Amino acid sequence: MEFTEHEVRLLQGTVKYHKGGTGLPLLYFHSAGGVRITPPIKALLDKHTIYMPVVPGFDGTKLLNGIDTYQDLAKLFAEFADTVIKAQCDVLGHSFGGRLAIWFASLYPEKTRLLVLEAPSGFRPAGMKDVDPGNADAMLRAMYAHPEKLPPNQKPREMAVENRKMAEHYHKNRNMEEALVGQLPKLRAVTLILRGTKDGRVPDESVLFLKAKIPTSHLIYVYDAAHAIEVDQPERFLTLVGDFLARGQGFLVNAGTGEEPADAELA
Amino acid sequence: MQFSYFHLMPWTEVTEAGQDWPVANHQFDPVKGTALYNTYLDHMAYAEECGFDWIGCNEHHFSPYGLMSNPNLIAASLIQRTKKIKIAVLGSLVPLLNPVRVAEEFAMLDVISGGRLIAGFMRGIPHEYVAYNIPPSESFGRMLEASELIRKAWSSPQPFGWEGKYYQFRAVSIWPRPVQQPGPRTLMSGSTPESARFAARNHAKLGIVRLTDLESVHQCIAAYKETAEECGWTPQPDDILIGQYTSIAETEAEAKKNLEGGIDYFLNVLNGGIRTAAQLVLQKTRYYPAEAKKAIERTSERVSVLKGMSIQERIDKGLVLCGTPDQVVEQIKQRHRDIGMGVINVVMKVGNVPNDAIRRGMTLFKNHVVEHVRGL
Repeated sequence: MEFTEHEVRLLQGTVKYHKGGTGLPLLYFHSAGGVRITPPIKALLDKHTIYMPVVPGFDGTKLLNGIDTYQDLAKLFAEFADTVIKAQCDVLGHSFGGRLAIWFASLYPEKTRLLVLEAPSGFRPAGMKDVDPGNADAMLRAMYAHPEKLPPNQKPREMAVENRKMAEHYHKNRNMEEALVGQLPKLRAVTLILRGTKDGRVPDESVLFLKAKIPTSHLIYVYDAAHAIEVDQPERFLTLVGDFLARGQGFLVNAGTGEEPADAELA
Repeated sequence: MQFSYFHLMPWTEVTEAGQDWPVANHQFDPVKGTALYNTYLDHMAYAEECGFDWIGCNEHHFSPYGLMSNPNLIAASLIQRTKKIKIAVLGSLVPLLNPVRVAEEFAMLDVISGGRLIAGFMRGIPHEYVAYNIPPSESFGRMLEASELIRKAWSSPQPFGWEGKYYQFRAVSIWPRPVQQPGPRTLMSGSTPESARFAARNHAKLGIVRLTDLESVHQCIAAYKETAEECGWTPQPDDILIGQYTSIAETEAEAKKNLEGGIDYFLNVLNGGIRTAAQLVLQKTRYYPAEAKKAIERTSERVSVLKGMSIQERIDKGLVLCGTPDQVVEQIKQRHRDIGMGVINVVMKVGNVPNDAIRRGMTLFKNHVVEHVRGL
C-alpha cells in the first residue's frame, strides 16, 4: 500500500495531506523535518488509514493567516479531523509533531482515542541546551544512531532549512512551555511515550516529566535509537506502536504465541 | 589499599580429574555440603574481623569448581552475619540472566545491607553459556544492553518499558530502589584490553583476576584508564582490583606447600571439565570478537607456561602472595609499586587448601599484615 497526496479546503485555508492504508484512522503529525514516510509507517497501512497533514509552512507549503501557534494548529487540525477523517482517531506525533499532538489531544479529547508521543519536544528543563544546529556532526549523532539507515531521497537542503524555520515560527522557544504543561493533566487518551536510548535532542528528564504528568501513560525506551526512532529501529517501533494501537493498555500483557488453547486450566 | 576476601566455594571431595562437562553431580554429598557451605560462610564473615574491606563471591554453574550458582543468596547470608564490610558480588553473570531480576536482587541486597553492595557485572566463563543455553556470540551485546537496562531500573523514578535487541519489557518499576543512587557501584572483569575498555565505557570498577604476567596487567590498566578519560571520567586507585592467590602461614615452607597443593588440585582436578567446555565454546563460537581472540590465544599460551611454574616463580613474577606475614607484607608493597592498584582480591581457598590452614592464614593477616599495608 502507498500514500497518495490530497488537499482540503478549511476555514483558514488549504491544507495538503498524505493518506494511505485501510483500517482504524491514525492522524500523524510530522516532525520539524517535514513529512517523512518511513518503512514502519508504511507497514502500519495494513491495519490503519493514516492521515499525514503537512503543517502549513512546511515542505514548501504556505503559512496560513491566523495560524501562528500550536493552539492554532490544533484547532486547524480539529477541523481537518471533522472534515476529512470524520471519526475519532488515534494520534501519533514525532518531536515537533509530538508537541502538537499533546495540544490536539488535550484540547479535543473527544477526537482522540489513543495517543503516541514519539520523542516529543517542548519539555526541555530550563538551563538545558539543545544541540547546536550549526554543528552538523553533533546534530547527526543526536538525531540518528544509525544514519546508514536513512533512505537515499532526502529533502533538498533548502527545504530542510525552511522547515526548521517553520518549527521556530510555531514554538517560539524550545524549552518548557508552561501553558503546555498545564494541558498535560487534561489528556484523557491512554498515551504511549517513546524515547530512543541515544536520543540527543529530547533529554531523559523530558519524558520522565511527561510520564509523571500524563494521567494514563506508558514510557518505553527504544534501545539503540536516537531521536529518529522510526529510522534507527523500524522493527522495534512497529512492534510497539502496532501492538499499542491494536490493544491499547492491553499491550502491556505478553500476548504469547497464540498456540495455547483459550480454556487451558491454570495450575 | 583495600582488601577483598574472595571465595569460590569449591567442592573439594572430587578425587578424579574428569574431563567431561557438565560434571556429574552424584559426587556431591549433600550432608557434607551443608557443613562445607557453613564453613565457607563462617570464613567469609570472619573476614570483617580480620580487617578486609570487601567480601567477594561469584557465580558458576554445573561444576565442583564453585558451589555458588546464585551468589546473591550467599551475599544475603553474609549481610546478616556482618555489619560494615562491603559485600562484593563478583559477579552476577548478566548475559545469562533476566536483567530486571538482577536489578531487583541487587537492589534488595543494597537496601538490606544499608548500601554496602558492590555489584559485579560479569560475562562468565564460556562454558556457562552452554549451561543456560545462551549463544556465546551474543555475550558482549547482551552485556551491553542488560547493563544499561539494569542501571535504568535502579535509577528511574518512573515506571518504564524497554524494547531492545535481546530484552523486551513493557513495564518496569523495581521495588525497592537501591540505597546507593543512581545505583550501586559496578565492577566488570578486564582481563583483556577489550574487556577493560568495556568496563571503562560503562564506568565500572576494573577487576583483573586471571593474572598471567605483569605486562598484560599493565596493558589492561592502560586501556581502562585511556578509555575512561575518553568517556570523561578519571579512575581512582580503588577502581582497580587485582586478584592474588594468597597463602599466609607461620613458615614459608608451609605457605608454599599449601598453595602448591591447592593450585595443583584447582588446575588438574577442578578445572578439567571446564577446560573442555571452554575450548568447545571458544573454538566453535564468537564468544570473543576476532581481535580479542588473538589476545585470548596469547593468554592461553601464557597459561600453559603458568601451569609449569613453581610457587617461587609465581611469587617472583608477582602472581601470588605467599609466605610468612612479613614476606607477604613486602610482596603487597611490591605489588603496589609495580601495578598501583587500590584493591587486592585475596583468594585463600585455592583448590583444596585445607580450611583450617585458611583460617589460620586469615588470623595472621589480621594480626600481622593488614596494619602494615593499609596505608599504601
